[in-house]
Amino acid sequence: MRHRLIQWVGIAWTLLYAALVVWLYAAAPQSVGEVRTQASVAAGTYEVDRARFDAGRDLFLREQYAAARSEWERADPARRDARTQFYVAYSFYRQGWGRVYNDDALFRQGVEAAESALALSADAPLSVEDPELKIHSASELRAELQAGLDRTADDLNPLKVFRERK
Amino acid sequence: MTTDTRATNRALTRFVLLPTMFLTAALLGGVRVAAETHALVFAPPPLVTLALAVLALSLFARGRLVEFGRWLSAERGAAENVSHALTLGALFFATAQAFNSVLPEAGLPRLVLSSFFLWTLWQNQFSRFDARRLLRSLAALFGTAFVVKHVLLSSLDAPGGGWLWRLAASALEGVTLGALAGPAYAGATGYVSFFALALYVGGLALLPPSPAGETFEDGGRAAELVEALRLLPDRERAHVIGELRRETEEEAGQYRPR
Repeated sequence: MRHRLIQWVGIAWTLLYAALVVWLYAAAPQSVGEVRTQASVAAGTYEVDRARFDAGRDLFLREQYAAARSEWERADPARRDARTQFYVAYSFYRQGWGRVYNDDALFRQGVEAAESALALSADAPLSVEDPELKIHSASELRAELQAGLDRTADDLNPLKVFRERK
Repeated sequence: MTTDTRATNRALTRFVLLPTMFLTAALLGGVRVAAETHALVFAPPPLVTLALAVLALSLFARGRLVEFGRWLSAERGAAENVSHALTLGALFFATAQAFNSVLPEAGLPRLVLSSFFLWTLWQNQFSRFDARRLLRSLAALFGTAFVVKHVLLSSLDAPGGGWLWRLAASALEGVTLGALAGPAYAGATGYVSFFALALYVGGLALLPPSPAGETFEDGGRAAELVEALRLLPDRERAHVIGELRRETEEEAGQYRPR
Protein backbone atom coordinates (compact mmCIF):
# COMPACT_ATOMS: atom_id res chain seq x y z
CA MET A 1 0.00 0.00 0.00
CA ARG A 2 2.78 2.41 0.99
CA HIS A 3 4.76 1.37 -2.11
CA ARG A 4 1.81 2.26 -4.33
CA LEU A 5 1.36 5.60 -2.58
CA ILE A 6 5.02 6.49 -3.12
CA GLN A 7 4.61 5.53 -6.78
CA TRP A 8 1.68 7.89 -7.32
CA VAL A 9 3.28 10.69 -5.34
CA GLY A 10 6.42 10.21 -7.45
CA ILE A 11 4.45 10.37 -10.70
CA ALA A 12 2.58 13.51 -9.63
CA TRP A 13 5.75 15.19 -8.35
CA THR A 14 7.76 14.31 -11.48
CA LEU A 15 5.06 15.66 -13.81
CA LEU A 16 4.74 18.83 -11.77
CA TYR A 17 8.48 19.40 -11.63
CA ALA A 18 8.91 18.63 -15.34
CA ALA A 19 6.16 21.17 -16.13
CA LEU A 20 8.01 23.74 -14.01
CA VAL A 21 11.26 23.08 -15.90
CA VAL A 22 9.53 23.40 -19.29
CA TRP A 23 7.76 26.59 -18.14
CA LEU A 24 11.05 28.11 -16.95
CA TYR A 25 12.67 27.44 -20.33
CA ALA A 26 9.63 28.82 -22.18
CA ALA A 27 9.24 31.94 -20.03
CA ALA A 28 13.02 32.48 -19.69
CA PRO A 29 12.91 34.83 -16.70
CA GLN A 30 16.09 36.87 -16.32
CA SER A 31 16.15 37.04 -12.54
CA VAL A 32 14.70 35.35 -9.49
CA GLY A 33 12.35 38.34 -9.06
CA GLU A 34 11.09 37.83 -12.58
CA VAL A 35 10.50 34.15 -11.84
CA ARG A 36 8.21 35.24 -9.01
CA THR A 37 6.38 37.77 -11.24
CA GLN A 38 5.88 35.32 -14.08
CA ALA A 39 4.76 32.62 -11.69
CA SER A 40 2.12 34.95 -10.27
CA VAL A 41 1.00 35.80 -13.83
CA ALA A 42 0.71 32.10 -14.64
CA ALA A 43 -1.18 31.47 -11.41
CA GLY A 44 -3.54 34.40 -12.08
CA THR A 45 -2.60 36.22 -8.87
CA TYR A 46 -0.62 39.02 -10.53
CA GLU A 47 -1.46 42.53 -9.34
CA VAL A 48 -0.08 45.96 -10.10
CA ASP A 49 1.70 47.73 -7.25
CA ARG A 50 -0.83 50.53 -6.60
CA ALA A 51 1.53 52.74 -4.58
CA ARG A 52 4.16 52.69 -7.31
CA PHE A 53 1.52 53.31 -9.96
CA ASP A 54 0.28 56.40 -8.11
CA ALA A 55 3.86 57.61 -7.60
CA GLY A 56 4.38 57.26 -11.36
CA ARG A 57 1.16 59.19 -12.06
CA ASP A 58 2.32 62.05 -9.80
CA LEU A 59 5.60 62.21 -11.73
CA PHE A 60 3.66 62.11 -15.00
CA LEU A 61 1.54 65.10 -13.96
CA ARG A 62 4.75 66.96 -13.09
CA GLU A 63 6.01 66.20 -16.62
CA GLN A 64 8.78 63.87 -15.35
CA TYR A 65 7.94 61.35 -18.03
CA ALA A 66 11.05 59.13 -17.96
CA ALA A 67 10.88 58.88 -14.16
CA ALA A 68 7.16 58.11 -14.35
CA ARG A 69 7.78 55.29 -16.80
CA SER A 70 10.47 53.91 -14.50
CA GLU A 71 7.95 53.77 -11.61
CA TRP A 72 5.31 52.15 -13.82
CA GLU A 73 7.87 49.59 -14.96
CA ARG A 74 8.30 48.61 -11.32
CA ALA A 75 4.57 48.75 -10.67
CA ASP A 76 3.81 46.45 -13.61
CA PRO A 77 7.03 44.46 -14.27
CA ALA A 78 5.25 41.85 -16.38
CA ARG A 79 3.51 44.57 -18.45
CA ARG A 80 0.21 42.82 -17.97
CA ASP A 81 -1.94 45.76 -16.86
CA ALA A 82 -3.76 47.58 -19.66
CA ARG A 83 -4.31 50.75 -17.62
CA THR A 84 -0.60 51.07 -16.76
CA GLN A 85 0.37 50.47 -20.37
CA PHE A 86 -2.10 53.17 -21.41
CA TYR A 87 -0.36 55.65 -19.10
CA VAL A 88 3.04 54.56 -20.45
CA ALA A 89 1.81 55.25 -24.00
CA TYR A 90 0.40 58.59 -22.88
CA SER A 91 3.74 59.56 -21.32
CA PHE A 92 5.46 58.84 -24.65
CA TYR A 93 2.87 60.98 -26.40
CA ARG A 94 3.29 63.95 -24.08
CA GLN A 95 7.08 63.71 -24.03
CA GLY A 96 7.35 63.30 -27.79
CA TRP A 97 4.78 65.95 -28.73
CA GLY A 98 6.22 69.15 -30.23
CA ARG A 99 4.58 72.31 -31.49
CA VAL A 100 6.68 72.26 -34.67
CA TYR A 101 7.51 68.57 -34.95
CA ASN A 102 7.09 65.36 -32.92
CA ASP A 103 9.81 63.00 -31.72
CA ASP A 104 9.21 59.98 -33.94
CA ALA A 105 11.22 57.57 -31.77
CA LEU A 106 9.12 58.34 -28.70
CA PHE A 107 5.89 58.23 -30.69
CA ARG A 108 6.83 54.80 -32.04
CA GLN A 109 7.35 53.52 -28.50
CA GLY A 110 4.04 55.12 -27.61
CA VAL A 111 2.29 53.21 -30.40
CA GLU A 112 3.81 49.97 -29.11
CA ALA A 113 2.61 50.65 -25.57
CA ALA A 114 -0.86 51.66 -26.80
CA GLU A 115 -1.09 48.46 -28.84
CA SER A 116 -0.03 46.49 -25.79
CA ALA A 117 -2.79 48.21 -23.77
CA LEU A 118 -5.30 47.36 -26.49
CA ALA A 119 -4.16 43.74 -26.62
CA LEU A 120 -4.47 43.44 -22.84
CA SER A 121 -8.00 44.79 -22.92
CA ALA A 122 -9.24 42.63 -25.75
CA ASP A 123 -12.45 41.71 -23.90
CA ALA A 124 -13.76 45.28 -23.50
CA PRO A 125 -12.66 48.69 -24.86
CA LEU A 126 -10.22 50.35 -22.47
CA SER A 127 -11.40 53.68 -21.14
CA VAL A 128 -9.42 55.54 -18.48
CA GLU A 129 -11.43 58.11 -16.53
CA ASP A 130 -8.77 60.59 -15.45
CA PRO A 131 -9.67 64.31 -15.43
CA GLU A 132 -6.01 65.21 -16.02
CA LEU A 133 -6.04 63.47 -19.41
CA LYS A 134 -7.65 64.65 -22.60
CA ILE A 135 -7.62 61.29 -24.31
CA HIS A 136 -9.44 58.54 -22.45
CA SER A 137 -9.43 55.51 -24.72
CA ALA A 138 -6.47 53.42 -25.87
CA SER A 139 -7.74 53.32 -29.47
CA GLU A 140 -7.94 57.11 -29.61
CA LEU A 141 -4.47 57.43 -28.12
CA ARG A 142 -3.02 55.01 -30.64
CA ALA A 143 -4.69 56.90 -33.49
CA GLU A 144 -3.26 60.19 -32.16
CA LEU A 145 0.23 58.73 -31.93
CA GLN A 146 -0.06 57.17 -35.38
CA ALA A 147 -1.27 60.48 -36.85
CA GLY A 148 1.82 62.12 -35.36
CA LEU A 149 4.03 59.63 -37.15
CA ASP A 150 2.33 59.86 -40.54
CA ARG A 151 3.82 62.21 -43.12
CA THR A 152 1.07 64.29 -44.80
CA ALA A 153 0.78 67.62 -46.62
CA ASP A 154 -0.87 68.93 -43.45
CA ASP A 155 2.57 68.82 -41.77
CA LEU A 156 3.51 71.88 -43.85
CA ASN A 157 0.57 73.91 -42.59
CA PRO A 158 2.05 76.86 -40.57
CA LEU A 159 -1.13 77.01 -38.48
CA LYS A 160 -0.05 73.70 -37.00
CA VAL A 161 1.93 75.56 -34.34
CA PHE A 162 -1.34 76.66 -32.74
CA ARG A 163 -2.61 73.12 -32.12
CA GLU A 164 -2.93 71.88 -28.58
CA ARG A 165 -1.29 69.01 -26.81
CA LYS A 166 -3.86 66.56 -25.51
CA MET B 1 17.28 -1.85 9.13
CA THR B 2 14.10 -3.84 8.57
CA THR B 3 13.16 -5.17 5.15
CA ASP B 4 10.11 -2.87 5.14
CA THR B 5 12.17 0.28 5.77
CA ARG B 6 14.68 -0.77 3.15
CA ALA B 7 11.91 -1.32 0.59
CA THR B 8 10.40 2.10 1.41
CA ASN B 9 13.75 3.83 1.03
CA ARG B 10 14.36 2.12 -2.29
CA ALA B 11 10.93 3.09 -3.53
CA LEU B 12 11.51 6.70 -2.47
CA THR B 13 14.85 6.73 -4.30
CA ARG B 14 13.43 5.18 -7.46
CA PHE B 15 10.15 7.09 -7.69
CA VAL B 16 10.98 10.46 -6.14
CA LEU B 17 14.69 11.11 -5.63
CA LEU B 18 16.02 9.94 -9.01
CA PRO B 19 13.51 11.90 -11.16
CA THR B 20 14.12 14.95 -8.97
CA MET B 21 17.89 14.69 -9.38
CA PHE B 22 17.68 14.20 -13.14
CA LEU B 23 15.14 16.97 -13.66
CA THR B 24 17.23 19.36 -11.56
CA ALA B 25 20.28 18.45 -13.64
CA ALA B 26 18.19 19.04 -16.79
CA LEU B 27 17.09 22.42 -15.45
CA LEU B 28 20.51 23.61 -14.32
CA GLY B 29 22.41 22.20 -17.33
CA GLY B 30 21.07 24.98 -19.54
CA VAL B 31 21.33 27.84 -17.06
CA ARG B 32 23.92 30.54 -17.76
CA VAL B 33 24.51 33.84 -16.02
CA ALA B 34 25.27 36.78 -18.34
CA ALA B 35 28.59 38.46 -17.52
CA GLU B 36 27.49 42.08 -17.75
CA THR B 37 23.87 42.13 -16.62
CA HIS B 38 24.00 39.00 -14.40
CA ALA B 39 20.69 38.03 -16.01
CA LEU B 40 19.73 34.36 -16.14
CA VAL B 41 19.87 32.80 -19.60
CA PHE B 42 18.10 29.49 -20.26
CA ALA B 43 19.75 27.54 -23.09
CA PRO B 44 17.51 24.71 -24.34
CA PRO B 45 19.31 21.55 -25.51
CA PRO B 46 20.64 22.01 -29.06
CA LEU B 47 20.27 19.22 -31.60
CA VAL B 48 23.84 17.97 -31.17
CA THR B 49 23.35 17.34 -27.44
CA LEU B 50 20.15 15.38 -28.15
CA ALA B 51 22.15 13.20 -30.55
CA LEU B 52 24.88 12.81 -27.92
CA ALA B 53 22.24 11.86 -25.33
CA VAL B 54 20.86 9.16 -27.63
CA LEU B 55 24.37 7.74 -28.06
CA ALA B 56 25.01 7.92 -24.31
CA LEU B 57 21.75 6.11 -23.51
CA SER B 58 22.58 3.46 -26.05
CA LEU B 59 25.91 3.10 -24.27
CA PHE B 60 24.13 2.79 -20.92
CA ALA B 61 22.11 -0.06 -22.38
CA ARG B 62 25.21 -1.79 -23.79
CA GLY B 63 27.19 -1.35 -20.59
CA ARG B 64 24.13 -2.52 -18.59
CA LEU B 65 24.13 0.64 -16.54
CA VAL B 66 20.42 0.74 -17.36
CA GLU B 67 18.48 -2.32 -18.49
CA PHE B 68 15.65 -0.62 -20.32
CA GLY B 69 13.80 -3.90 -20.93
CA ARG B 70 13.52 -4.46 -17.20
CA TRP B 71 12.62 -0.86 -16.37
CA LEU B 72 9.74 -0.93 -18.82
CA SER B 73 8.11 -4.32 -18.90
CA ALA B 74 4.69 -5.77 -19.62
CA GLU B 75 4.97 -7.67 -16.35
CA ARG B 76 4.80 -4.44 -14.35
CA GLY B 77 1.72 -2.45 -13.45
CA ALA B 78 0.73 0.62 -15.46
CA ALA B 79 1.64 3.08 -12.69
CA GLU B 80 5.07 1.52 -12.24
CA ASN B 81 5.75 1.63 -15.98
CA VAL B 82 4.62 5.26 -16.17
CA SER B 83 6.85 6.17 -13.24
CA HIS B 84 9.82 4.36 -14.79
CA ALA B 85 9.18 5.99 -18.18
CA LEU B 86 9.22 9.40 -16.50
CA THR B 87 12.50 8.57 -14.74
CA LEU B 88 14.06 7.41 -18.02
CA GLY B 89 12.74 10.50 -19.80
CA ALA B 90 14.27 12.68 -17.11
CA LEU B 91 17.53 10.73 -17.51
CA PHE B 92 17.51 11.45 -21.26
CA PHE B 93 16.99 15.19 -20.83
CA ALA B 94 19.48 15.35 -17.97
CA THR B 95 22.05 13.67 -20.24
CA ALA B 96 21.35 16.13 -23.06
CA GLN B 97 21.60 19.10 -20.67
CA ALA B 98 24.75 17.71 -19.04
CA PHE B 99 26.37 17.80 -22.49
CA ASN B 100 24.87 21.25 -23.10
CA SER B 101 26.40 22.41 -19.84
CA VAL B 102 29.96 21.41 -20.75
CA LEU B 103 29.97 22.14 -24.49
CA PRO B 104 31.45 25.55 -25.34
CA GLU B 105 28.82 28.02 -26.53
CA ALA B 106 30.19 28.79 -29.98
CA GLY B 107 33.10 28.81 -32.33
CA LEU B 108 35.91 26.36 -32.93
CA PRO B 109 36.01 24.89 -29.38
CA ARG B 110 32.35 23.88 -29.65
CA LEU B 111 32.98 22.13 -32.95
CA VAL B 112 36.08 20.37 -31.64
CA LEU B 113 34.51 19.24 -28.35
CA SER B 114 31.25 18.13 -30.02
CA SER B 115 33.26 16.04 -32.49
CA PHE B 116 35.33 14.65 -29.60
CA PHE B 117 32.20 13.62 -27.70
CA LEU B 118 30.59 12.11 -30.80
CA TRP B 119 33.72 10.17 -31.66
CA THR B 120 34.23 8.88 -28.10
CA LEU B 121 30.60 7.80 -27.67
CA TRP B 122 30.52 6.22 -31.12
CA GLN B 123 33.78 4.32 -30.51
CA ASN B 124 32.54 3.06 -27.16
CA GLN B 125 29.46 1.56 -28.80
CA PHE B 126 31.75 -1.22 -30.02
CA SER B 127 33.76 -1.80 -26.83
CA ARG B 128 32.91 -4.12 -23.98
CA PHE B 129 32.83 -2.69 -20.52
CA ASP B 130 30.83 -3.00 -17.36
CA ALA B 131 28.54 -0.43 -15.75
CA ARG B 132 31.03 0.71 -13.12
CA ARG B 133 33.74 1.35 -15.67
CA LEU B 134 31.26 3.14 -17.92
CA LEU B 135 30.29 5.41 -15.04
CA ARG B 136 33.93 6.21 -14.31
CA SER B 137 34.59 6.85 -17.99
CA LEU B 138 31.59 9.20 -18.23
CA ALA B 139 32.62 11.09 -15.09
CA ALA B 140 36.09 11.55 -16.61
CA LEU B 141 34.61 12.67 -19.94
CA PHE B 142 32.37 15.28 -18.32
CA GLY B 143 35.16 16.34 -15.97
CA THR B 144 37.54 16.99 -18.86
CA ALA B 145 34.94 18.94 -20.83
CA PHE B 146 34.05 20.93 -17.71
CA VAL B 147 37.68 21.94 -17.18
CA VAL B 148 38.04 22.88 -20.87
CA LYS B 149 34.93 25.05 -20.89
CA HIS B 150 34.74 26.55 -17.44
CA VAL B 151 38.42 26.82 -16.58
CA LEU B 152 40.40 27.12 -19.80
CA LEU B 153 37.97 28.77 -22.19
CA SER B 154 36.41 31.02 -19.54
CA SER B 155 39.90 32.41 -19.05
CA LEU B 156 39.58 33.84 -22.57
CA ASP B 157 36.57 35.89 -21.43
CA ALA B 158 38.25 37.14 -18.24
CA PRO B 159 38.87 40.90 -17.97
CA GLY B 160 42.08 41.79 -19.79
CA GLY B 161 41.94 38.55 -21.75
CA GLY B 162 43.05 36.18 -18.97
CA TRP B 163 46.22 34.12 -18.79
CA LEU B 164 45.17 31.67 -21.50
CA TRP B 165 44.34 34.48 -23.89
CA ARG B 166 47.79 36.04 -23.39
CA LEU B 167 49.45 32.64 -23.77
CA ALA B 168 47.51 31.82 -26.95
CA ALA B 169 48.02 35.33 -28.33
CA SER B 170 51.79 35.08 -27.89
CA ALA B 171 51.91 31.53 -29.28
CA LEU B 172 49.74 32.32 -32.28
CA GLU B 173 51.01 35.81 -32.99
CA GLY B 174 49.27 37.31 -36.02
CA VAL B 175 46.51 34.70 -36.08
CA THR B 176 43.02 35.84 -35.11
CA LEU B 177 41.67 34.37 -31.89
CA GLY B 178 38.10 35.46 -32.57
CA ALA B 179 37.10 31.90 -33.41
CA LEU B 180 37.92 30.81 -29.84
CA ALA B 181 35.66 33.26 -28.08
CA GLY B 182 31.97 32.66 -27.31
CA PRO B 183 29.40 34.75 -25.46
CA ALA B 184 30.72 36.00 -22.12
CA TYR B 185 29.18 34.44 -19.02
CA ALA B 186 29.76 35.21 -15.36
CA GLY B 187 31.80 32.90 -13.13
CA ALA B 188 28.56 31.73 -11.48
CA THR B 189 27.81 29.76 -14.65
CA GLY B 190 30.68 27.40 -13.82
CA TYR B 191 29.31 26.76 -10.34
CA VAL B 192 25.82 26.06 -11.70
CA SER B 193 27.33 23.68 -14.27
CA PHE B 194 29.39 21.92 -11.60
CA PHE B 195 26.29 21.39 -9.46
CA ALA B 196 24.31 20.11 -12.46
CA LEU B 197 27.05 17.62 -13.36
CA ALA B 198 27.43 16.48 -9.75
CA LEU B 199 23.68 15.83 -9.58
CA TYR B 200 23.73 14.02 -12.91
CA VAL B 201 26.66 11.73 -12.09
CA GLY B 202 25.28 11.20 -8.57
CA GLY B 203 21.93 10.22 -10.09
CA LEU B 204 23.65 7.77 -12.43
CA ALA B 205 25.50 6.23 -9.49
CA LEU B 206 22.21 5.78 -7.60
CA LEU B 207 20.35 4.43 -10.63
CA PRO B 208 19.96 0.65 -10.34
CA PRO B 209 20.51 -1.26 -13.62
CA SER B 210 17.04 -2.69 -13.20
CA PRO B 211 14.35 -2.04 -10.61
CA ALA B 212 13.94 -5.80 -10.13
CA GLY B 213 17.59 -6.10 -9.09
CA GLU B 214 16.83 -4.14 -5.96
CA THR B 215 14.52 -6.72 -4.52
CA PHE B 216 16.61 -9.74 -5.39
CA GLU B 217 17.13 -12.18 -2.63
CA ASP B 218 20.51 -13.86 -2.25
CA GLY B 219 19.90 -16.26 -5.13
CA GLY B 220 18.98 -13.35 -7.40
CA ARG B 221 22.11 -11.42 -6.43
CA ALA B 222 24.24 -14.43 -7.27
CA ALA B 223 22.59 -14.56 -10.69
CA GLU B 224 23.33 -10.86 -11.13
CA LEU B 225 26.97 -11.41 -10.20
CA VAL B 226 27.30 -14.28 -12.64
CA GLU B 227 25.77 -12.09 -15.33
CA ALA B 228 28.18 -9.25 -14.48
CA LEU B 229 31.07 -11.70 -14.58
CA ARG B 230 30.05 -12.82 -18.04
CA LEU B 231 30.20 -9.25 -19.27
CA LEU B 232 33.78 -8.73 -18.16
CA PRO B 233 36.58 -8.92 -20.75
CA ASP B 234 38.15 -12.42 -20.99
CA ARG B 235 41.34 -11.47 -19.17
CA GLU B 236 39.57 -9.84 -16.25
CA ARG B 237 37.06 -12.66 -16.01
CA ALA B 238 39.92 -15.18 -15.84
CA HIS B 239 41.56 -13.03 -13.17
CA VAL B 240 38.38 -12.93 -11.02
CA ILE B 241 37.84 -16.67 -11.40
CA GLY B 242 41.51 -17.33 -10.53
CA GLU B 243 41.28 -15.13 -7.43
CA LEU B 244 38.07 -16.78 -6.28
CA ARG B 245 39.55 -20.24 -6.84
CA ARG B 246 42.71 -19.31 -4.93
CA GLU B 247 40.67 -17.93 -2.01
CA THR B 248 38.47 -21.02 -1.96
CA GLU B 249 41.51 -23.30 -1.96
CA GLU B 250 43.15 -21.25 0.80
CA GLU B 251 40.00 -21.42 2.91
CA ALA B 252 39.75 -25.12 2.30
CA GLY B 253 43.47 -25.58 3.29
CA GLN B 254 43.06 -23.45 6.40
CA TYR B 255 40.17 -25.48 7.73
CA ARG B 256 41.50 -28.83 6.59
CA PRO B 257 41.91 -31.01 9.65
CA ARG B 258 45.55 -31.91 10.26
